[in-house]
Amino acid sequence: MSTIVEKISAYSKPGYYEKFDYHWTMTIDLDRCTGCEACMVACQAENNIPIVGEERFAQSREIKWIRIERYWEGEYPNIKMGFIPMLCQQCDDAPCETACPVYATYHNQDGLNTQIYNRCIGTRTCAVYCPYEVRYFNWFTYTWDEPLEQQLNPDVSIREKGVMEKCTFCIQRIRTAKDNAKDDGRRRVRDGEVTPACVQSCPTEALVFGNSNDPEAKVTKMMNNPRGYTVLEELNTTPSIVYLTKVHS
Amino acid sequence: MAIVGSFAFEEDFLGAAKTLKASGFDKLSLLSPIPVEEAYEVIGLDKSRVRHFSLAGAIFGAIAGFALAVGTALVFILPTGGRAIISVPPYLIITYEMTILFGVLFTLLGFHFVSGLPAWRDRPYLDSAGIDRFVIVVEGVAADQATRAEAIFRDAGADEIQQVEDGQ
Amino acid sequence: MFDHGQPSYAEVNKDIISTMLETGPKYWMLLGGTMSVAGIFFFMPWIYQLFVGVGAAGMNHNAVWGSYLSNFIFWIGLSHSGTLLSAVLHITNSPWRKAVYRSAEAMTLFSLMTAALFVMVHVGRVWFVHWSFPIPNQMGLWPNFRSPLMFDVMAITTYLTASSIFIYMGSVPDFAAVRDASTGLRRRLYTIFSFGWRGTAREWHTLGWAYTFFAVFVIPLAVSVHSIVSWDFALSAVPGFHHTIFAPYFVCGAIYSGTAGIVTVMYCLRKFLGFSRYIGQVHLDSLGKLLIALSMIWTYINIVELFTTWYGGTSYELEALSFRLTGFYAPMYWEMILFCAFVPLLMLSKKIRWSWNKMLVVSILINIGMLTERFIIVATSQPRKFLPDSFGFYVPSWIEISITFGSFAIFATLFLIFIKWVPAISLYEVKETLKPLRRDA
Repeated sequence: MSTIVEKISAYSKPGYYEKFDYHWTMTIDLDRCTGCEACMVACQAENNIPIVGEERFAQSREIKWIRIERYWEGEYPNIKMGFIPMLCQQCDDAPCETACPVYATYHNQDGLNTQIYNRCIGTRTCAVYCPYEVRYFNWFTYTWDEPLEQQLNPDVSIREKGVMEKCTFCIQRIRTAKDNAKDDGRRRVRDGEVTPACVQSCPTEALVFGNSNDPEAKVTKMMNNPRGYTVLEELNTTPSIVYLTKVHS
Repeated sequence: MAIVGSFAFEEDFLGAAKTLKASGFDKLSLLSPIPVEEAYEVIGLDKSRVRHFSLAGAIFGAIAGFALAVGTALVFILPTGGRAIISVPPYLIITYEMTILFGVLFTLLGFHFVSGLPAWRDRPYLDSAGIDRFVIVVEGVAADQATRAEAIFRDAGADEIQQVEDGQ
Repeated sequence: MFDHGQPSYAEVNKDIISTMLETGPKYWMLLGGTMSVAGIFFFMPWIYQLFVGVGAAGMNHNAVWGSYLSNFIFWIGLSHSGTLLSAVLHITNSPWRKAVYRSAEAMTLFSLMTAALFVMVHVGRVWFVHWSFPIPNQMGLWPNFRSPLMFDVMAITTYLTASSIFIYMGSVPDFAAVRDASTGLRRRLYTIFSFGWRGTAREWHTLGWAYTFFAVFVIPLAVSVHSIVSWDFALSAVPGFHHTIFAPYFVCGAIYSGTAGIVTVMYCLRKFLGFSRYIGQVHLDSLGKLLIALSMIWTYINIVELFTTWYGGTSYELEALSFRLTGFYAPMYWEMILFCAFVPLLMLSKKIRWSWNKMLVVSILINIGMLTERFIIVATSQPRKFLPDSFGFYVPSWIEISITFGSFAIFATLFLIFIKWVPAISLYEVKETLKPLRRDA
């Protein structure tokens, strides 16, 4: 990638002109998921997600970076319910990233769709473009009543009103793990060293997280499971989350 | 010295202008309340030079627009959505808008250069030129030619003739 | 062209310039009224929203875009009136445009300003909105030119600049006429505004060429501006938005709503400034025929959209379509169809087309329909995207309704200020339609 000509020709092609350093991927085994929503609680605790209150929840303004979507089929007493945890899919061909006029969201070298809170001017175009509806807007500046503010995670910034937020794969934990690995003799982050809050708290280990650039990682093996699929595949967003479909009897 | 004469009718106006020009009075200004096509020929105006400014502006805008889009993308590479960093279709839209923007701005500049405006200093003028009279202003008239010029005006049917000293 | 006999050149000057120089108490009351309405209904709720957050409006997780954006699009659409009338009809040498184009261009400019205000009301952190402009800064950051909103920024900036220059340069000879008719401070101001214009052959020649070039630049610009605005929607993957017909649809709708706006403004000019001598049946008739044609194109595009969506049968698109036609907002959708597709057909009758009062009603109904149309597009496509669990619902709050109402007052205020500073009818172009000052005419 040295000469100008090589650079220009690389930049003119769609795609990423350099391979991702780490490619953080998650698999969600829908057969193991019980819909207990422990991941939602953990995410809220880890990422300083505001409690919006009953009134605003009724207005559909709650913020839940990971949510359990529930679908019912059939009539009582033959109801079947399916649920699927939905969080930011960290799409490699994200429709939201191209929409932001100020580069407040872009794809970083680890394959993450990052959201830069202090650059966001709140046009909310990314939320419209996202087919998974996983982007949440701060309609107000939310506050934490005493003593809840003592529970806030110091590694994660508080967002003010007018800023868009979404699941970051706990980028603060990834950052800490990379820093530790560097201090520990400039090695790479090992599989299992970084787990986002949701993965850590899932009681059935339905969520598996890791670096899919590492052929030995657990997540790489789970990804290649024949039960694997990506949500809204036909939209060509190439998400980084692979769902393992439920086994039906 | 300048001589200013006003006419109620277009034919008189144009006739006087042609006669004045033929008699050697070059510094003519033909004022009218609406544009008069034949007057352009008397002055010797064909295609305006404004068009060169417009073209230059459009070309400049096209280059500037594309350079702006590509340059700012390359300064700090932030990949978005797997699209190319130098993605031509969106940048063509930016180029298009800048072409028009600079085309318009350069045309404005061209208008100012070619028409000689703004000219806020006092120049010979009759208010009726903005209402319903056609006015001819002959500048650079020497004292001995004044009567000849005035005679041409009167013969053509001017209804008001004034002499304006230089600097007024 | 002239219903009550042709005026003389001097009468043209007197009639039009007197509307600028003579101001009665009714004008001041009207201006004060519109400014108060704008202040109370637009600015005060907006300031409240700046303190509290965009949540004061009715948008929620399912529909993050709401009436602010649909109003923005409505006002940009209204701005296409002046460009069509002024630029397109200039290139085609249309005589009936001459009396009405100056006010139409003013409408363009003020609609654009109102639309720009709506962008600022819409964004979450308006104090950083300057980051979307390519201004060198200490962070070394530039905006994302791949984003459709950046196309918007560039297009609207260009359109504002080009429209201002277009209307200003076209008014220079008229500023000179006002200068000649006034005294004191006003005379000095208009001397500056008119650049010392005398009306020499060289000045007219240059102005004619420059004006034609401005018109030639502005026409493709207007088409591109509304196409780009439509691409804010069409470049997403959202079912109700992602149609290729959006660009022609929006441009056609813009010209349509703009032309209806011109009819409304012409009615007001005739009534309040006494311009009935200059704006007559010919203008109304021509505008009416234009509106019929545009209404038919608009109806056709709607039918095409419905048909292709229905025939294609994608589940996402069908869901969005059925929500639009039979869901919560169905009454608004059908009202829009009634006002924009059926009501204009009344203009096929000469009796309607030649009556100022009836045309006023028709034009206002068309614009209400168009305002609804923008809202329907925004409010019924977002809540029905892809994942059914996220289907929802959006209702505008009182702040949004108040701000919508206040925006019309802002437009009216700007227009009222305009008619006192710039001749609302172009003097020299009207004189061109009169009998020429020739012995043999």
